[in-house]
This record gives sequence, C-alpha cells and structure tokens, in this order.
Amino acid sequence: MQLLRDILDKQVVDREQVKIGKVDSLVAELRPGKPPRVIAIELGSIALARRLGSAPARWTAKLAARLSGKQQARPHRIAWNKVRDIGVDVEFDINVRRTRIFAWQDWLNEHVIGRIPGA
Amino acid sequence: MKKLLEISLGVVTSVGGFLEVGSMATAAQAGALFGFQLIWAVVLGTICIIFLVEMAGRFAAVSHHTITDGIRERFGFNAFIWPLLATLLVNFLVLSAEIGGVAIAAELATGISFQWWALPVAFLAWLLLWKGTFGLIEKGVSTLGLITLCFVVAAVMLRPEWKEVAVGAVPSLPHHDTAKYWFMAVSILGASISPFLFMFYSSGAIEDQWDKSYLGTNRAIAGLGMSFGGTISVGVLIVAALVLGAHGVTEVDDYNQLPLMLIPIFGFWGFILFVASLAIACFGATLEVALQQAYLVAQGFGWNWGEDLKPRDDPGFSLVYTLTLFLAAVPIALGLDPLKLTIFSMALTAASLPLTVVPFLFLLNDDRYVGENRNGLVSNAAVIFVIAVGFVLAVVTIPLQIFGGT
Repeated sequence: MQLLRDILDKQVVDREQVKIGKVDSLVAELRPGKPPRVIAIELGSIALARRLGSAPARWTAKLAARLSGKQQARPHRIAWNKVRDIGVDVEFDINVRRTRIFAWQDWLNEHVIGRIPGA
Repeated sequence: MKKLLEISLGVVTSVGGFLEVGSMATAAQAGALFGFQLIWAVVLGTICIIFLVEMAGRFAAVSHHTITDGIRERFGFNAFIWPLLATLLVNFLVLSAEIGGVAIAAELATGISFQWWALPVAFLAWLLLWKGTFGLIEKGVSTLGLITLCFVVAAVMLRPEWKEVAVGAVPSLPHHDTAKYWFMAVSILGASISPFLFMFYSSGAIEDQWDKSYLGTNRAIAGLGMSFGGTISVGVLIVAALVLGAHGVTEVDDYNQLPLMLIPIFGFWGFILFVASLAIACFGATLEVALQQAYLVAQGFGWNWGEDLKPRDDPGFSLVYTLTLFLAAVPIALGLDPLKLTIFSMALTAASLPLTVVPFLFLLNDDRYVGENRNGLVSNAAVIFVIAVGFVLAVVTIPLQIFGGT
C-alpha cells in the first residue's frame, strides 16, 4: 500500500457509514532509527488549506478561529489505530456525533436549514 | 423485462438532461443562419457525449465512485481544485441560462416580463429538490420531457430534402459569416458535451446503486438516450432552417422570434407546444444542474449527500443547491438577456472541457478502479478526440467570442 496514492483524498466514514469528509492530510511520527509511522489522519478546511500553501493555511486558520473559537483553529484528527476497513471508503471505528467534526453542520441545522419548513 | 423498463426509463431521462436551453437555442440559431450546414456539429457532439456518458456510468458501476470522487482521489486535492472551480463557474452560468429559459417561456405564455419569473422559477425548483426524491425528479422530468418530440414530428411534417440533411451531417466550410459559423459550431459542441451531464449521470448511478450487472443497461442508456436527444436537436435545427430561414429570419437574436418556428405546422397549438417544450426542457435542466452543483461540492469535500436524504441529514448538500438556485436567478431577475447568456455559457462550457475530460483518460484505464472493465481502444480514441477538440475550443473560444459572438 502506498499512503499518498491509496489513502490520501479517500472518503472517510464512521462506524455507521456516515460520510465524515475526505482524508485531507496524514500525520506521521518520526522515530529515531526506525521508519516513520502514520499516527493519524486530518480532515477539515484547515488541513486542506495547508496543502495549497502557507498563505491560504494562515487565512483559513484565522477565519476558523474567528468563526468558531480558538479550539477550532487546528484541523480535526482521527487516530490511525481506529481504522477498521479500507475499501471504497476508509472506515474508522468512531461515532462522528461524539466529535467536533460536524459542529458546522449542527450550527447550519440549528440556524439555517432547520428553520426552513420541511427540513 | 425489468431491465427493459429500466433502459427505457433511462433513455427518456437522458433526453431530459440532453435537451435544454443551450441545445435548443444553438440549434435554432444555426438552422436559421446556415440551413442544414451545421447538422454535423450536433452529430459530432452527440457521439462524443455518448462515449463520455457510457464511461461515467461504467466507472460508477464498477468502482462505486462518482467521477468527482474519482478525480479528487486519483489526482489529489491540489489538482482537483481546478476542475472544481471551472465546473462550479460554468454550471452556475448554465443554471442561470436554464432559469432564464423557463422565465422566457413564462413570459411568452403570460405576457409578464421574464425578469419577474426568475425568482418564482428558482423557488419552485428549490421546493422540488427540498421535498422530492431522486426518483420523482428523474421520472417526472423525463416523462414530461417527451413533449419535445414535437420538434421531430414538425421536422418530418415539413418534408425536408433528406439528401440535403445527410449532406449537412458531413462537415463543410462556410460560404459566408465564417467567424460566426465556427462560433456556432463551438456553441453547439458545448451545448451537447456538457460536463454536468456526465457528472450528474455518474452521481445518479450511485444514487440508484448500480453494480457490474448494470454495464449492459448503462451502454444501452448512453447510446440510445443521447442519440434520442441528438435527434430532437437535429429536429429543432431542421425546423429552424425551413421555417425561420425561409421567412428571412436569419439572425435569432430575440427570443420572441423562436415560438414562430412551430406555428406554420401546428397553428396556434404550435405556439403552445413551443412554450411547453421550452419550459419543461429548461426546468428539467434547472433541477439537474442545481443538483449537480450540490453533488460536486459535497462529493469533493466528502460531505453526506443524497437527494433522498432529508435536508437535516445532509445540511451542507442542501445549502449548496439552495444558495446556487437563488443566486443563479439574480442575473435574470436583474434583466440579463437569457439568450445571450445561453450562447456565452455554451461556448465557455466547451472551453472548460479539457479540465473535466482529461481525467477520464486516467480513471478509465486504471486497474484499481475499473479492473477488467477498463477502456478499449475505441473508447480511448474517443476520449483523446474529445480532449483534442476541447483544447482547440479552449484556445479559439475567446477570440470567436469577440469576433463571432452575438
């Protein structure tokens, strides 16, 4: 398996098959004398913006901090040891409802979508 | 039997996607000004879109990825962002043009200026997406879309010289208005080979849970459905050539001239048929382009998506089509000429083709996605041809826009 070819940019789902996002970046740990090891994946706009360059990364982080507080100024991380299956999607043994990943969708539901009749 | 039903439904559905304001307007303009001479552009565009739609369906059925998912995964986000931005922009213009098409039909029917219809049309489309299911939209649009067959009936009733029609199917050099001729050819190709069509088709295949057993169905739908749509476009062109051209209307620059097309054949009913065809074809396309815009963003970023889910379960997806629909209605509500916008957006679509079609060459030859169902020689030749045409179009569209545009 090649990490960049086979994992990066794949669809991520939780254990209920809810679509969480894409593998926007990978976090590896450098170990002295041993090959580096993947410890987590990252997802969200900040992780994506970092791939486009340092300037977009700065702007996105600033924007995220302004919109939703300091703790949102870093990308969401899911530990690699939670991975359960790699097929069409990458499945993690987590429940997305218990994370902050869907905070923006909850906000959207509460303030916009949920206020329109029939939602 | 079930497969047969699915194929006929699919064929009818693809007509709904194929025939929209772009193909109607470009075919009518070309017919009025150049007679049958540009039929080849409709034929060529139809052949190209058959290949691309078949590939999009095969890719989805075998790999369980939409084309959007495939591009992002295979090429990475930094490459994906270019087709994403280009398609979002082109789709937005096309959506605006489609809303304009429905609004014009409403103006022709009621006498109330099209500007007033833009927002109500967007609202009605939004309501259907908000409350409806994929099946309802697919079947409803397609069944009503059959009304556009009146152009084929009209073309046959006008008894054209079929030999001349056949001659028109072979490319030839123009005798007058050279720049305009090529601009029309480009616009016709852009109207036929629209990225939203094959991207929407691959999302539909995932929504309908296709697998490998659908490969034959897919081939039949792509081939028959797109030919069916192309035939109607040729019908529009023939009618325009024989009615508008013969009455000295060579320059279709005002949409009020268009409903005259069917009156010599069907009388007052011709007017009603034209208005209904325009309204239904454009409304169907409005629904499809707005949905495709939401599919594109949701699939590109990995959000939950699906027309059958409740808006609460895919708020990001629902927000995209809601915003897109109402924003796209704004230019029309402000009085932008829908016909000019249509021709402009068709040429721009043609120019954006390389960005969305080059990935096909890689995705459909990648064992990890399509395995033994990879492209054969003919399909690859077709993709390379579309890419080549796309590159030429991308280079010449801008100058033609300036010198040949209306």
